Amino acid sequence: MFWSIARKEIVSNLLSYKFFVVILLTAVLIFTSFFIMHRDYKQRLSDYHLIKPKPDEPIAVIPPNPLSIFVKGLDDAMTRSFEISVIGVDVRAGQESGNIIFSFFSAPDFIYIVRVVLSLVALLFGFDQVSREKEKGTLKLMLANPLSRAKVLSGKWMGNFLSLAIPFLLVTLLGFVLLIFDPDIYFSSGDLFRLAVILFISLIYIALFLSLGILISTLTKKAAASIVILLFIWAIVVFVIPNLGTLLARQIVDIPSVRALSEKREQIWTREVLLIYEDKDRIAHFQTIHDDMDKLEEDYRNKFSRLIKLSKNINRISPVASFIYAVTEIAGTGIGEEDCLKRDIIRYKNNIFQDVVINKKEYPAFNYRYRSLSQIFVQGALFDSAWLIFFVILFFALSYFAFVRYDVR
Amino acid sequence: MAKQEPILKAEDLSKRYEDGVLAVDHLNLDVHPGEVYCLLGANGAGKTTTVNLFLNFIPPTTGTCFIKEIDVTKDPLEAKKYVSFVSENVMLYGNFTARQNLDFFAKLGGKLELSKEDYHQVMRRVSLQERAFEQRVKNFSKGMRQKLGISIAIIKDAPAILLDEPTAGLDPKAAAEFLEILNELKDEGKAILMSTHDIFRAKEIADRVGIMKEGRLVMERTREELQYEDLVKIYIDYMRAEPLTV
Repeated sequence: MFWSIARKEIVSNLLSYKFFVVILLTAVLIFTSFFIMHRDYKQRLSDYHLIKPKPDEPIAVIPPNPLSIFVKGLDDAMTRSFEISVIGVDVRAGQESGNIIFSFFSAPDFIYIVRVVLSLVALLFGFDQVSREKEKGTLKLMLANPLSRAKVLSGKWMGNFLSLAIPFLLVTLLGFVLLIFDPDIYFSSGDLFRLAVILFISLIYIALFLSLGILISTLTKKAAASIVILLFIWAIVVFVIPNLGTLLARQIVDIPSVRALSEKREQIWTREVLLIYEDKDRIAHFQTIHDDMDKLEEDYRNKFSRLIKLSKNINRISPVASFIYAVTEIAGTGIGEEDCLKRDIIRYKNNIFQDVVINKKEYPAFNYRYRSLSQIFVQGALFDSAWLIFFVILFFALSYFAFVRYDVR
Repeated sequence: MAKQEPILKAEDLSKRYEDGVLAVDHLNLDVHPGEVYCLLGANGAGKTTTVNLFLNFIPPTTGTCFIKEIDVTKDPLEAKKYVSFVSENVMLYGNFTARQNLDFFAKLGGKLELSKEDYHQVMRRVSLQERAFEQRVKNFSKGMRQKLGISIAIIKDAPAILLDEPTAGLDPKAAAEFLEILNELKDEGKAILMSTHDIFRAKEIADRVGIMKEGRLVMERTREELQYEDLVKIYIDYMRAEPLTV
């Protein structure tokens, strides 16, 4: 009976215009995204080959991450060139996207399409599941049979989920196959595994919005009312809360501006430079500059970390934020990965100061190793994934309780 | 010959909605195999509520509905194995063909092994045109949809059939065809409970007629009794009478 209902939902979707329009839209968006982001990645890769430091240059720069084609995240920021000097680390523009349109609109990466478009598509599949059947009178006909409401609801859920998930996976796979024909792009087995995990989490995210759609459908009598309520919730969850959290956190955590930090650095430099001319022990003054700058930056970093942590926790009220945190970290373009990179660059700077300035050795090369998946999961992605699953279960359970009490007349 | 046990039975059945309206008031009725029972009454008399109570769509305030001696509230899934339902306006799934709709509801009714020919046979029985079997239902007239609705009830092959205003909106020819099918089902031994406004059709088909007013069953007549009485007059007299006191 469960599969009869699931099958009915799949066939019903396949026979509807809504399904074809939505799948066509998804396919066009995903292929367009792969095309644009692939071009962007190749541009940044070619920029990397141009700015790649020579062995004797104190510059930390990493190549763009091939997974940034799907999850851009902070890859632009991470692939900037970090020039090491006695007074600290100077950030250069590096391999930022050459596409100026990205400044006006978000990078149309795969995850943007999942986050915004597919969440809406999932709601469109779920919004009238119960209310439409009530309006048509088919719900009464269905429930006049020896069929529990749990089976009706779960069958509907499964049928619609498969109707969404299968075309989504096929389109993504097809786009990916086209990408790997490009010899300039190399995906390691680790990248492929990470991509599979990202797809899995994307499916959980789609399931979440489908469950939300069905939940609202069980709470309303008319499909038109469902869609209005759902659009309101969707806008709040997808756009408002993830931005509101950051604004709120800024009110709570007091953090100096980047300009103030820069001014402070200038002050330390000016003070010590004047002393260098009067004192023969220049190394000691460089050490003081180095130590004071470190202290200043560490203090700023700590405050910034608190701000980020608080913003993330507030934003997690919306499962959309958890989705973004999980997939960006798994792709290696998230906040945690950027933080690790920055810490590695500071270690590199400290090594340079110790080895080159004090011990007169040659500049060491900068190498960065991305965190392993297990580290990523332990450091937050597991929580975010579990949080998404919790929402799916919660919405489905609430739908069930609402449907059991639903007036089918 | 001893009368068989009723398939459908309402015992002291009442339903008061949350807004305080008493839709069904201590109703007692039974429908035996091979019998058609028509519930007549004005809008809001409690006919549809009675059907909904038998299908466990709503819980009773007091009393019990039995289908084949199974308490509908206590074991609804078991009870629903023995009942089919035809609603006032059978909408079905517009994008599905008649056969696909029939197949889906047959499976829900527990008929998993039916062939395409089985479905065609049932649709032929209700006089649905052959060319409509594989057509999408969204293009069907109301009469065609009602025929498909009764096909769904037939294919489940349950001993009881509940019909809620099934002839409302049908043209006289379609309504006559519909009643002909009901007569056949009655002859096969089905217990049929039909709520309707249509006094003439009720008189034509019913073995017993019950008139409901403000939730109460105010009158019941057998086919034999109605040979000597004018059902229309009885009905109008009851409808014109003073409201019942609660």
